[in-house]
Amino acid sequence: MQLFFALTGLLVGAVLGFVLQRGRFCVTGAFREVWISRSHRWLTAYLIAIAVLSVGFFTLRSMGVVDDSSRPLTPFATIIGSLIFGIGIVLAGGCATGTYYRAGEGLIGSWLALIMYALSAAAMKEGILKPLNSGAKEINTLEVTTVHSLLGISPWIVVGALVLGVGWLARGHLLRERRLTIATLPPTRTGLAHWLFEKPWHPFVTAVLLGVIGIIAYPLSYASGRRAGLGITTPSSNLATGIVTGDSAKLLDWGTLLVVGIIVGSYIAAKGAGEFRLRVPDERQMVKSLLGGIAMGIGASLAGGCTIGGSFVGSAELSLNGWLSFAGFFLGVGVAAKLFLRPPAKRLTVAPQTVPANV
Amino acid sequence: MSTTHLLDTAGEVCPFPLAEAKEAIAAIPSGDLLRIDFDCTQATESIPRWAAEQGYPVVDFQRVKDAGWTITVAKP
Repeated sequence: MQLFFALTGLLVGAVLGFVLQRGRFCVTGAFREVWISRSHRWLTAYLIAIAVLSVGFFTLRSMGVVDDSSRPLTPFATIIGSLIFGIGIVLAGGCATGTYYRAGEGLIGSWLALIMYALSAAAMKEGILKPLNSGAKEINTLEVTTVHSLLGISPWIVVGALVLGVGWLARGHLLRERRLTIATLPPTRTGLAHWLFEKPWHPFVTAVLLGVIGIIAYPLSYASGRRAGLGITTPSSNLATGIVTGDSAKLLDWGTLLVVGIIVGSYIAAKGAGEFRLRVPDERQMVKSLLGGIAMGIGASLAGGCTIGGSFVGSAELSLNGWLSFAGFFLGVGVAAKLFLRPPAKRLTVAPQTVPANV
Repeated sequence: MSTTHLLDTAGEVCPFPLAEAKEAIAAIPSGDLLRIDFDCTQATESIPRWAAEQGYPVVDFQRVKDAGWTITVAKP
C-alpha cells in the first residue's frame, strides 16, 4: 500500500511539471525581476502560492493529518546556503524546479545543471561534503522552529495576516493591469486543447494551482511513509544516491518519484504545445549551468531546501528557517543579477532589413 | 515600406531576450519595426507584456517552429 502511495509521487510530479511549464512559473525570474526591473508581479504570484499552501497546511494540521514543522532555525547554515543557492540559480538560469521543467523542455544546459545539482546535493547529504553540511548546521542551532511558536500565538493569526497582505498585493496588480491588452499567439486549437496547451495562464492562476498541488502532496506523501510535503533537494540527492548505490528504497521514495514526474509532466506539456526542442547553449552558458548546478546543490542542502522545499513549503508552514531562506534566496539572486546579468553589448548592432510593409 | 530591424536571440535564455529587446528598441528610430526571434519559452509571456506596458503595438507574433517564436513590435 505504501508503494502504491509512493507511486502517486510520480503523478503529482507530472501535474506539477505540467503546471510549471504551461504557467512559465520561474522563481528565479520572479526574484530577478524585482532587482532588474522593479517588477514584483511574479513575486506576488510566488507569495500567493505560499498563502494558499499555508491555509491548506494548517487546515490539514488541525485535522491531524500533518505534523507541525519541527526544523530548528540554523541561521549560519541557512544564510550562507541560501545566498549560494540564490547565486547558483541565476547562473543556471532557473531554480531547482525551474531547472527540472526546462530539462523537460529540452534545454541541455538545464540537464547539465540538474545533474550537477543532484550530484552536489548527494555529496552534501550522503557523501564527501557531509561533514561540511552537518558542521555548518551545528555552528548555531537555535531551539526555535516556527513563527507562531516563537510568538506564542495561534498560527491562524499569522496565516490570516499573510493572506490579507498577499490579497492586497494581488488586488493592486489586477487593478493595474485591467486596461492592458497583451498580444497573444494566434490560436490554432479549440476547447480543452486550447486551454491546456495554448492559452497563456495568468501567473496568479498558476500560483493557486501550485498551492493546491502543494496541499495535495501532504496526505499522499504521508501515506507513503514520507512525513513531508513537496521537496526537491533531498529527493534529487536520493535519486543520485539511489542510481549509484542501487538503494531501491531511495528510488521508490515518494519524493524521488515526484522529481522524476516533474520532467515527465513538463515534457508532455512542452511536447503538446510544440515547445519541446533540444537546445544546446553556448560554451559560456554551459560553464555557468555547471557551476550554477553545483552551487544549487550545496546551497540548498545548507539552507534546508530550495525555493520549493525550503522557502515555498517552509514559509507556508511558518518555519522560521523557511522565511530566512526566502530572504537569503532573494538577496542571493539580487547579488548575482548585479554581477552576471549585464546584457552583452554585441547585441546592440541591430541589422536593418527592409521588408514590404504588408509582411 | 517601413524598416524592420532584426534581433536574433536564438539560444539565449531569459532574461537576455527581453533585456536585449529593450536596448535594441532604444537604438532604432521612431516609426521602425523591431523583430525579435527567440526560443526561450518564458519570453512568450514577458516580451508581449513588456510591449503592452510600454505601449509598443505588436504587429506580428507567431510560433514559427518547435520552441521558436518571432514577435514584431513597432516603435511609435
